[in-house]
Amino acid sequence: MKLQHYLGGLENLGPVDFEKRVFVQEWEKRIFGIHTTMMAESAHLIDSLPRYPMDTLPTSFKSDWTWASLRTGAEGMQPFEYFKFRYYEKWLGGISSFFINQGYISEEEFKSRADFYRKEPDAPLPDKPSAPIREQIVRYLEQGDSGMRPCAGKPLFAAGDSVTVADPAAVDHTRLPGYLRSKPGKIVEVYPGAFAYFVNTGLDGIGKPMPVYRVAFDAADIWGVEKSEPNTMIYADLFEAYVQAPV
Amino acid sequence: MSQLFDYEKQREAESAAKVRALEALLIEKGVIGSDSVDTVLAHFETVAGPFNGAKIVARAWVDPEYKARLLADTPKAIAELNLAQGMDGAEGEHMLAVANAPGVHNLIICTLCSCYPWPILGLPPYWYKDPVFRARGVREPRAVLKEFGVPVGAETKVEVWDSSAQIRWFVVPERPANSEHLNEEQLAALVTPESMMGVALIELPAI
Repeated sequence: MKLQHYLGGLENLGPVDFEKRVFVQEWEKRIFGIHTTMMAESAHLIDSLPRYPMDTLPTSFKSDWTWASLRTGAEGMQPFEYFKFRYYEKWLGGISSFFINQGYISEEEFKSRADFYRKEPDAPLPDKPSAPIREQIVRYLEQGDSGMRPCAGKPLFAAGDSVTVADPAAVDHTRLPGYLRSKPGKIVEVYPGAFAYFVNTGLDGIGKPMPVYRVAFDAADIWGVEKSEPNTMIYADLFEAYVQAPV
Repeated sequence: MSQLFDYEKQREAESAAKVRALEALLIEKGVIGSDSVDTVLAHFETVAGPFNGAKIVARAWVDPEYKARLLADTPKAIAELNLAQGMDGAEGEHMLAVANAPGVHNLIICTLCSCYPWPILGLPPYWYKDPVFRARGVREPRAVLKEFGVPVGAETKVEVWDSSAQIRWFVVPERPANSEHLNEEQLAALVTPESMMGVALIELPAI
């Protein structure tokens, strides 16, 4: 198991920090903006709904960068490191490693440029605006990247069916919250169509288009009567690969 | 600033230098434009943000038929309103509204990451991304809600929505009592992002 897949339900953590700001440091805005630009430039968008003209976009970025990239990186971290770093610190680490590993920038130039900005924090950035990239960012933010596809077959389950959540091998990345594994639930909605995921998660089971179900769980069935609050229902949307007939 | 965010200055200065170095190199190498990051940030200042959600909620409060349409077909009902962005967009390709009511309180969470309905709520606040909220919200929602100042009795059903696939949920909170004198615009001004994720109630400002 990976701790990051099992965050839901982890006990003994103390109070929640009720910080309402989106960014607590100015630099966090910049890494968020870089990440979102990468998503808007991701090569996979050529096959998405809606279609984007990725082949003619004047950028040297030719890789896939989706939510799955960031999530895989965070879920792959050493778990104690995961809690040591703040949210956008994880993004900064993951994104800069990606650009170095993919050969877009070298480790040496990244280090020396960071040294430069450490000494000259107010030195300006290069001035090379790009109208086509700007237009693609706006297009992407307005039209998004839906995984919805036609449903090839008939969904295996229907609303009202009792089901058991699957327990596939833990791999790099999953969309199955750990606390739901092997638990009993009830299908309350079969979403129209089928849904692809950004990457193929291998043994975990998602990637190609498949039905998605809204599954209802009684909290007592998940945590036990003694350790759960009364009168509480939990709903999760689960890809068909994560849903099985009751055992 | 809470203690969690109260790190020594060096840590922030280090991250600031790294992110500036990264942005500079990406611009030089033609990966992004020097206006790309600002374009993203401007979108979340003016087009996508909690001001959209507040308009949707206020309309649902003043027009019960709109509220029924919103709960039955959320994207279609959102598209009825003249928002700067239509019904969908990145991280809002599939949105669904759930409504609080006497006896039912909803809480939205993403235990695996930070899924959030960008087009109508903008970007998630830190508490939503906090691993402690993500861990505890799904196990002891009433205890967490109490810490947030929202007491929910045992007789009220709590419904927790874990954003684990395509749907981005949001809550239509209950209209505050004694707000009949307020118009739609004044009502929208009361709606907070927290109330639309279920961790706050809406109260009338003290007179």
